Amino acid sequence: MKILTTVKKVVDVELNMRVKDGAIVQEGMQYVMNAWDENAVETSIQLKENHHAETTMVSIGGGEDTVKIIRRGFAMGIKNAIQIEDAALDGADSFMYAKVLQKVYEKGVYDLVITGKQAQDTDSGQTGIILAEYLGLPCVSNVIAIEVVDDTHIKASRLGDGGTEIVELTLPAVVTVDVAINVPRLPQTRGIMMAKKMPIDVMDLAALGTSTEEIRSVGPKSKIVEFIAPEARKSGRKFEGDAAAITAQVVGLLASETKVL
Amino acid sequence: MTKVLVIADIKQGVLKSSTAQLLSKAKAIGAEAAVVAMGDNIGSLVPDLAKAGSSTQYIADDPGLKLFSAGPFASCVVNAAKQFGADLIWFGFSESGKAVAPRVAAQLNAACATDITDVKLQDGGIEVIRPAITNKVLQRVAVPGGQLVAVVRAGAFEATEDVTGSENMVKLPPPAADLKAVIRQIVSEESGEIDLGDAGVVVSVGRGVRDQAGIDLVKGLADDLKAGLGSTRAMVDAGLMPHYKQVGQTGKIVAPSLYMAIGISGAIQHLAGMKGSKVILAVNKDPEAPIFNAADYGIVGDLFEVVPILRQEIKKLRG
Ligand SMILES: Cc1cc2nc3c(=O)[nH]c(=O)nc-3n(C[C@H](O)[C@H](O)[C@H](O)COP(=O)(O)OP(=O)(O)OC[C@H]3O[C@@H](n4cnc5c(N)ncnc54)[C@H](O)[C@@H]3O)c2cc1C
Ligand SMILES: Nc1ncnc2c1ncn2[C@@H]1O[C@H](COP(=O)(O)O)[C@@H](O)[C@H]1O
Repeated sequence: MKILTTVKKVVDVELNMRVKDGAIVQEGMQYVMNAWDENAVETSIQLKENHHAETTMVSIGGGEDTVKIIRRGFAMGIKNAIQIEDAALDGADSFMYAKVLQKVYEKGVYDLVITGKQAQDTDSGQTGIILAEYLGLPCVSNVIAIEVVDDTHIKASRLGDGGTEIVELTLPAVVTVDVAINVPRLPQTRGIMMAKKMPIDVMDLAALGTSTEEIRSVGPKSKIVEFIAPEARKSGRKFEGDAAAITAQVVGLLASETKVL
Repeated sequence: MTKVLVIADIKQGVLKSSTAQLLSKAKAIGAEAAVVAMGDNIGSLVPDLAKAGSSTQYIADDPGLKLFSAGPFASCVVNAAKQFGADLIWFGFSESGKAVAPRVAAQLNAACATDITDVKLQDGGIEVIRPAITNKVLQRVAVPGGQLVAVVRAGAFEATEDVTGSENMVKLPPPAADLKAVIRQIVSEESGEIDLGDAGVVVSVGRGVRDQAGIDLVKGLADDLKAGLGSTRAMVDAGLMPHYKQVGQTGKIVAPSLYMAIGISGAIQHLAGMKGSKVILAVNKDPEAPIFNAADYGIVGDLFEVVPILRQEIKKLRG
């Protein structure tokens, strides 16, 4: 089984964000692998360990931070890496990324594509699903477990509205994984050392066999006009002291002040 | 006139509140609204769908649509969108909506925005507001022209009384089954439980409750209030609570009039799922817990002591 896993560099969401003049203040920002993509990487590695899958990751983006997260993927256990870097992708949306991923898929031909359910910077949850549409492949999103049935079938469990839906997929297929699927392993020293020397196949759009026009034909369909700092919740009140007294007081306020009881 | 197609949110044969909310918003922006409904044996919902504010009801009623499958559901929506000539296609917040919306967008070559909290029509274009980066910022997103497929965040739009509709059913042909993604089984949620998305009060447990006995204690409080019982991811990971009760960025988004966070630290991913609640009450023994920054009322104390008193006081209040 040949697996393609997508990994995206995202801003570390645990940091404080400041918005100034409609933009996020970049100073002090740090970048990490998207949390859901760590789950995608872990899923691939488990399929490698248990089913001899061949693992490749792809990241679209440039700069040192992208290389850093690719090295992290290597250190966790992924064998091959592709990095797509091209100035024409500035301001790309999910549709453009999906189009690029389609080209990457077609160049390598894989049995399974595993993407994160959503990227922590966009919180969109679209790219993997759109990729499946572009490729005409079956797709299950929000996957929390994968079981290999045979060479051409897997069972994917997804969290749906009515419970856990178990879907049998004919490969090739695309799945997007939720954080509930596994606990991503931490890279070990040996893996980190080896990861430093592993080659990354860096390509621009031309090397990938496509063009700016082809990728731009699908997007961007929307544009972020500005970022806005969310309204802070009106700061509440904290009650400390005798449990019985403060609890009675709060229940009273829920009834008289906010009238929700 | 702008045309909005709303995807009816039907769970176990029942129309969820988001449908009327989205139809009301369509009216508020001066659009004509139609609704598309998929399922098995749903013909009886047509009058309700009309009353909720739609001028046309596109109905795909077929045994093959009994269980959710993203591919067939997407083709019904695409079909209805084309017939209606929809500019905007809105899904209520649901896991099926999140799975179907990007497919519909890709097939219609339309833009796609998930989790929107507001929408405006502007000089022939569309503008939406949506949270991003785990709710740390909001984005104002412009779609210069053409269509937009969107998933609306739970609780973002309110249903209003003044909407009217008319019955005008259009049958959609049953879509082809997705033979490459066959749904084999649904391990269902327990029936008879209060649905978190609809509950007026949600009481959620975090790791502070420790074990089943702690959960039972808090469940007593939830039952008193006829509240939905929610959970943090930490409790789900520990195997103490089922997945479908998880509130947060990767779980349910809830916006009840009262949210009680019991033994919950208040991680950003949890806050992302409940910050829209009208009133938040937190019980935590750590005065520095971040949940207190989000809470209207914070009780600093041991939940095992506080929860029984809460129950008592609420009983007293209700006589
Ligand atoms: C990509 C991603 C997505 C995520 N999605 C979600 C999500 O959707 N929902 C979600 O909830 N989390 C999510 N998380 C996890 C989140 O980051 C936190 O780990 C989780 O919310 C913590 O749960 P908790 O508050 O129950 O546990 P803890 O953080 O361990 O907090 C327990 C709290 O209980 C208090 N406590 C302990 N004993 C008592 C007592 N006797 N009385 C009163 N208080 C007590 C403690 O002071 C503490 O504040 C996600 C994480 C990632 C990386
Ligand atoms: N630039 C990118 N490079 C690699 N993978 C990406 C990129 N953008 C999105 N993805 C993948 O698509 C998933 C969903 O992204 P999004 O649709 O932005 O929420 C992410 O978890 C990634 O796995």
